[in-house]
Amino acid sequence: MTNTNDHHEHLERLMNQLAESVLGLSDEAVLAEPNESGTTTEQEAERTRLVLREASKAFDNVNKLLSIHGHALTSSNWRHGERGYQNNCRDCGLSVNFTVAGDVWGDALGERCAGIDLPTVGRREVSR
Amino acid sequence: MAHLLSFTDTRTQFASPKSALLIESDESLLNAFKTFLEKEGYAVRTAANSEEGLRLYRDFRPFNVVLVDYCVPSTDGEEIDYRDSEQRHGTALAMKIREISPSQGIIIAALDYRDAREVPRPPELMNVPLLVDISDFRLPLLLEKIEVDRAMEALTPSELLRLQRFADYRIKGLGRAAVGRTWGDLLGQAMLRTLIGAGSTKEGRHWNRHVDFVWHLTGAMRSISSSWKRQFKEKEREKKKRFQMKEPLLMSEVLNGDDGQEQSPLDAESGHISSGGLWAPDALADQCLIEKDEEDRVLAMVQDDPQATQVLQGLLDGLTKNEILSTYGLREKKYAAAVMRILKLTGRGNGGSKE
Repeated sequence: MTNTNDHHEHLERLMNQLAESVLGLSDEAVLAEPNESGTTTEQEAERTRLVLREASKAFDNVNKLLSIHGHALTSSNWRHGERGYQNNCRDCGLSVNFTVAGDVWGDALGERCAGIDLPTVGRREVSR
Repeated sequence: MAHLLSFTDTRTQFASPKSALLIESDESLLNAFKTFLEKEGYAVRTAANSEEGLRLYRDFRPFNVVLVDYCVPSTDGEEIDYRDSEQRHGTALAMKIREISPSQGIIIAALDYRDAREVPRPPELMNVPLLVDISDFRLPLLLEKIEVDRAMEALTPSELLRLQRFADYRIKGLGRAAVGRTWGDLLGQAMLRTLIGAGSTKEGRHWNRHVDFVWHLTGAMRSISSSWKRQFKEKEREKKKRFQMKEPLLMSEVLNGDDGQEQSPLDAESGHISSGGLWAPDALADQCLIEKDEEDRVLAMVQDDPQATQVLQGLLDGLTKNEILSTYGLREKKYAAAVMRILKLTGRGNGGSKE
């Protein structure tokens, strides 16, 4: 057991150190490093940007879908569940889940918010 | 991004075309919100001072949304900070707009962008029936989303490649605990946590704009990969405990890894699970060999390169950079060159996100 842990931790430490080393490399060195997929460094960089863009789009998408159904979230209530992030409509309590890959599911997407027909002024009015 | 719509008046939410009036003296903020509102389908009119704002309001009302900065200057250029003065131009402007049409179903939100999270409500507005709960309106949150997207689009190719390689090595370091995840999963998750972090949730990771965005994302990736490892270890401990208690594993535990991702029980990488669906003690020994082999394989790659071997051995022994330099009498430049050669030799294996 000790050996397993030793080897695994050695390897993990090595990989993590290599990860940190990448941050210290000059721009020229990073761009000069060949990649295995046969693509140019520009293509590889854009592929990476796409990953970030997709995550941003997934976040926009879930919010847009909720607004279409009239749901309102408290944004500080997002929590990480078994498969992705989860939240509940603060008016009707229905749930919504989404993943970084863009999968969205939950009761809130199938039903219009039950609280949406309440008089808006009374419901939203600030009294603090 | 839907918060704005979520808090709008239901009578106007689905009206088309939607119109918005933005009164904000800071040009970059004005443009950021204009872009956001236009993306949401609003026709936007903008004003940089209170007189122009009021003129637009009178000429083009009604608007579905009116956003007013607390601190809008008058045309004489005088800008008064509402926190230091009794005269609050933005607040007064918001109230004037309400005076023009007190019963109109518009939304008026007075904003303070400088003070990110809590928008304080001034006493003058305490008795004004706003149609939006300012505390939940969270426009700073939307602004932060815009800022995060901008920072992401501004990343240079070398920064993007650095992020990709960092993510890839962190995933490789996880070994079995990666449970089929790729660098794309780790990087995407870091971005998502940054976006969610704008709402101060404990699940998120707020980006402080004074911190370099690459630095922020790599910090998020360190934290996420460590939490994946912890989760994996907990699951492994649980499986082992149940095996010792002779409890059968659930089918989902056999077939699914962390986060419910499918995992073959026959997969060599899944090591601890036998084809019979029970944790197999022998697999530990197999795993030990796999990891030793991997370590030997990496060392073998650099065997013809004495300096790279020294650096690699140092890293495997857990030495810091300075310790490696002093132990092997290497200079910083030689060390950096050796690291570069190791990075090239170890390669970066598989692709990004699972598509």
